[in-house]
Amino acid sequence: MQLTLEGIIPVPLREKVSTGKSGLWNSKVSFNKGEHIFVQAPSGTGKTTLIHILYGIRTDYSGSLQWGNHKLPSTDKELLATLRTNNLSVIFQDLRLFPELTAWENIEIKRKLTNTISSEVAAQWLEQVGLKDKKDSLGSTLSYGEQQRIAIIRALVQPFDWLLMDEPFSHLDHANTNKCIALIQSVVAQQKAGMILADLDENNYFSYTKTVLL
Amino acid sequence: MQDSLLKKLLLRTQHSSRLWAALAALCIGTTLLLVSVLIWWNFRELLFGKNQKDTLGSTFLIIGKRVTEQNMGQPKATIFTKADIDDLAKAPQVQEVGKISSNHFPVYAMMGGKLGFATDMPLESAPDKFIDKMPSEWEWQPGKRDLPIIISSQFLDIYNYVFAPSQGLPQLSETAVKSIALNFKIGNSDHTEVFLAHVVGFSDRIGSVLAPQSFIDYGNKTYGQPGVSEEPSQLILKTLDPSDTRFANYLQQHDYTTNSQNLRWSKIRAIVELVSTATGVLSLLLMSISTLVFILFIELTIARAKQSLTLLLELGYGPKYLSNFMIKRFLPLVLGTIMVSAIGVIGAQQIVANMAKSQGLNLAHLPGWPVWAALLVSTALLIILVIKAISGAIRKH
Repeated sequence: MQLTLEGIIPVPLREKVSTGKSGLWNSKVSFNKGEHIFVQAPSGTGKTTLIHILYGIRTDYSGSLQWGNHKLPSTDKELLATLRTNNLSVIFQDLRLFPELTAWENIEIKRKLTNTISSEVAAQWLEQVGLKDKKDSLGSTLSYGEQQRIAIIRALVQPFDWLLMDEPFSHLDHANTNKCIALIQSVVAQQKAGMILADLDENNYFSYTKTVLL
Repeated sequence: MQDSLLKKLLLRTQHSSRLWAALAALCIGTTLLLVSVLIWWNFRELLFGKNQKDTLGSTFLIIGKRVTEQNMGQPKATIFTKADIDDLAKAPQVQEVGKISSNHFPVYAMMGGKLGFATDMPLESAPDKFIDKMPSEWEWQPGKRDLPIIISSQFLDIYNYVFAPSQGLPQLSETAVKSIALNFKIGNSDHTEVFLAHVVGFSDRIGSVLAPQSFIDYGNKTYGQPGVSEEPSQLILKTLDPSDTRFANYLQQHDYTTNSQNLRWSKIRAIVELVSTATGVLSLLLMSISTLVFILFIELTIARAKQSLTLLLELGYGPKYLSNFMIKRFLPLVLGTIMVSAIGVIGAQQIVANMAKSQGLNLAHLPGWPVWAALLVSTALLIILVIKAISGAIRKH
């Protein structure tokens, strides 16, 4: 699934975009399947806005965005649901777990949508990122670091062509970051998917095929 | 597990006491609506139903031409001509007109034993469809010796409460009267015939002694006095609402006489009909309010789960999927509530039918089609409204 952005300018950034220079806003950019894209975005340049636009959550922009044959923004909410179930996955910067569900239930609510990853594999991933003993803890009682690791696993328990990540390791120490990178790398490779990682500073979490300065 | 997780997220804020209150309101609204249709339908059945021995919905009146100082002694002056009858058939509120024929031949009734008596007997006949309680034995043909007769209920009352006590005679029940046989001698000095008359029924509608039409026709033809008019001097009318002033004016203008008591009964019936309609309107209003309460409860439940709902949609749950989940939760509750109402109404009809039976009225033991139609329509409307409310509230996110 190819991603094409053409002349996109988010409404809140209109002034900034017209005066500054961006490698993505108000330009025509295409990303091909399997590419690993790093979007370097200094604070205030619209990193989270970009991820939300790509995921179809924000529609307050001009220009056009195309996921394969599907054009966004779309008013068809069922189409968006299908895209988010089978083609796009996301790790939000603000994590967005259900506080009233346990760590395991937060993974299950996503996994059960497609059942493409078995519960055994999901449990294994939970163990891999060091959260086996937190399985039954409520989302509201987990630390940010724990929540971030649950959010990462939740993003991986579905089929996807593209994995969108917004500062995915911001709350993790080196050891846990490395565990998560290894897990993401293996799943993305398995799914032959592409990834777009947006972060503040340059990094070498993954071997990127393209870097875009926002 | 997926459903239990969704339940945890979307229905956790659902207060069970509020849910029960909303369901109770819905149940009361539906029951009242069905009961009002039931009342209306039962009322219609009692008034106009074909199963009723006595059609309470129509008022039967016997009319005659007033005998005045001027027309006294002129029998033809009180006869209804064909033109009179045709005109009456078109009068306001008149549904049917029947001729009451009387005997133009001598009838002499005799009975022996302790109650022994002998008297001249006037007989009348009316078309069968005007007889209020039609006995199964109600038929006669020439050559048959047994003659069924129907007497006015008032005759029995006069005998039991006036005549019998004053004469030291025993009072008689309807069954006892039916077991008595009377000899009816008809004819003239040249030729007579004797029939064995049995009382087979009592009429509240006709105030005389009725014999089958075929018997009166036979007697008039065989023994009738020549030159006597065949035209009736009394008519029986089936009217819808004789309290209508247009009908009363018609009678007055033509100087016809009738029993004014019947006119009052009709007025009461009109009031009952009005009350039943008002109950229907009120229950429709209550049903609408209770439906609104239930819909608002659903919308409130969805609004309270707004945050979870938004995140579920962001994670890839489709609005249709989530709507179906909510519909599957609420629809059984709605259907269960309606079923409780329906069972209540069926039970009510059983009780009403038994009560009516004890009053000598026939009502079906199951509610009639208007009640089922109301149930079907209200259920369909409720289902549509619930589905629309859920889908609409979820699509707003």
